[in-house]
Amino acid sequence: MHSKSKIIMVTVASVILGLWAIVTIIPLYWMIIGSVQDTTLSATYKPQMIPSIWSVAPFERFFSKTSAWRWLFNSVFISAVLTATNVFFGSLAGYAFAKLKFPGSKTVFWVLLSTMMIPAQVTLIPLYVLIINVFNLGDTYTAIILPGAVSVGNIFLMKQYMSSLPTSLIHAARIDACSEFGIFWKVILPLAKPGLAVLAIFTFVTSWNDFFWPFLITSSDEMRTIQVGLASFVFAESTDYGAIMAGATVGALPMMILFFSLQRYFLQGITIGAVKG
Amino acid sequence: MARVEFRNVRKEFHDQQKGTFTAVEGSDFVINDKEFVVFVGPSGCGKTTSLRMIAGLEHQSSGDIIIGDRVVNNLHPKDRDIAMVFQDYALYPHMTIRENLSFGLRNLKKPKAYIEQKVQEAASILDLESMLERKPRELSGGQRQRVAVGRAIVRDPQVFLFDEPLSNLDAKLRIQMRVELAELHKRLGATIVYVTHDQVEAMTLGERIVVMNKGAIQQIASPTELYAKPRNMFVAGFIGSPAMNFMDAELDGNRVLVNGTVLELPESMLSSSLADYDKKKVILGIRPEDIYGEDFVQNVKVEGKMTTSVQVVEHLGSENLVYFQVGERSVTAKVHPETKAYVGLEKTFILDLGKVHFFDPETEMRISD
Repeated sequence: MHSKSKIIMVTVASVILGLWAIVTIIPLYWMIIGSVQDTTLSATYKPQMIPSIWSVAPFERFFSKTSAWRWLFNSVFISAVLTATNVFFGSLAGYAFAKLKFPGSKTVFWVLLSTMMIPAQVTLIPLYVLIINVFNLGDTYTAIILPGAVSVGNIFLMKQYMSSLPTSLIHAARIDACSEFGIFWKVILPLAKPGLAVLAIFTFVTSWNDFFWPFLITSSDEMRTIQVGLASFVFAESTDYGAIMAGATVGALPMMILFFSLQRYFLQGITIGAVKG
Repeated sequence: MARVEFRNVRKEFHDQQKGTFTAVEGSDFVINDKEFVVFVGPSGCGKTTSLRMIAGLEHQSSGDIIIGDRVVNNLHPKDRDIAMVFQDYALYPHMTIRENLSFGLRNLKKPKAYIEQKVQEAASILDLESMLERKPRELSGGQRQRVAVGRAIVRDPQVFLFDEPLSNLDAKLRIQMRVELAELHKRLGATIVYVTHDQVEAMTLGERIVVMNKGAIQQIASPTELYAKPRNMFVAGFIGSPAMNFMDAELDGNRVLVNGTVLELPESMLSSSLADYDKKKVILGIRPEDIYGEDFVQNVKVEGKMTTSVQVVEHLGSENLVYFQVGERSVTAKVHPETKAYVGLEKTFILDLGKVHFFDPETEMRISD
């Protein structure tokens, strides 16, 4: 009886998950297929699940009509810098909140954490005014990077991770004549590597996929990231489905490769706060 | 090596929710040069806090701590010339044993050749030579413990601090490591301050023992003295296993009345301080090993007889523990395994009256001396 109900449960769950997977995968499949077939096919009334004529022409058109290489460079550069700053500041702040005693640490932490409750859209306009009018940084890398240089979410993630490291290691290092920065650098950071990897991957993916802020703050074509560039290309070439699909594939593929190669860390990232905290 | 002194050291912790908590109350003591001193007491008695204050990991709320001839109140742990072994070993998991051992000396920027020599010396003392290139996770509990000790040895500190270093080991290994630590103390001639909640560890290792409870020092004495002349009921109950038995009693001249039984005290027990309690209530303390079954009495000069029924018998092989009730208190006797005892047996027990202790029921302090 027990095993029978279990079998039914597993079957139902498998069917639901299977359907969900299909719904999720079809658009991705469509995007990739649309980018590697002849343009005439992708606009036909009866779509072909497996193209009869394969072609790389959509990619050629996408790269020749746009500054795609420049956009890709921008995306890589910005995501890399944001990853580096988030790893650096996030781990330092996380360590301080997790392991160092200083007056008001709890208050400061809760104030920081409460900012996570404020929707990003609310701060968008003040942030825009600040960057454009006060700092005069419009249409620069600094303008894209600065607001995201460190996120509270990452500080929280690192605090949770570092709280799970034994405090006696810090005490041992202190007695072993290690400086305070030395403790962080030589003892804590090497042990926080799995946490840092998760933070780095999540930050890179988020920065790569970010659309709205780079869209808002950039005005020239050469400052656009791949996501922003793609949107402008869609507006300009609304009929060339093949090229649009090729662009979308170029924008999405690196993250898909990253995800599949580092799947382990993504899953770890989901459980860090829950299990280790 | 050096002496360690506490002068009226007090430590309070402040917590927004729980308020102020006093972990150590006005401690005063001197640990002599090359002495092995053990802090012992139940959880939360302030023993680890005291040790951490010597290390500089906690800062005292008031009072002075002196190591050698320096007041170290405001000195960073690294400048106090101490080394500490932690309960969970605190080995750096990402470093090899060699790197773990040399970490402190490298931070102190000692010459490479000197570091190498020190690491080799420590490894040879602790039999770690074959493991120098391994990581801590590849070592057993006992080996990790030795690395933790090695990390302290290479520093040549004035004072070694041990924070419950054996509590994570299994019983057999703990005894082995206890012997090794005692040998190490002889070999290094070091001043050692050792914290444990295990009174057997304290009694076997310590030259002197500091018994603590609720932040206050209860008694500082050698193991023999602690056992023979506990200063109060806490020390009497804490030192010795099974714990000392307490019975409500009343003094009447040289006799003591316990639950309707009259016991005649020997001359040697009658002190002037005990005379002050004539016709008054007292607490009589007697260790389980000083109670015998009537059929198996050994070397008792002055016997006190008490007949009662046996409640529980525990067979430990080398001895039996027999439990019985005196008034409202449960009493344990540690008797020879051939002593006849089973549940419900009406049995006469012999109390060695030359070895009883008396305590004031109000202050719980020792009366007899």
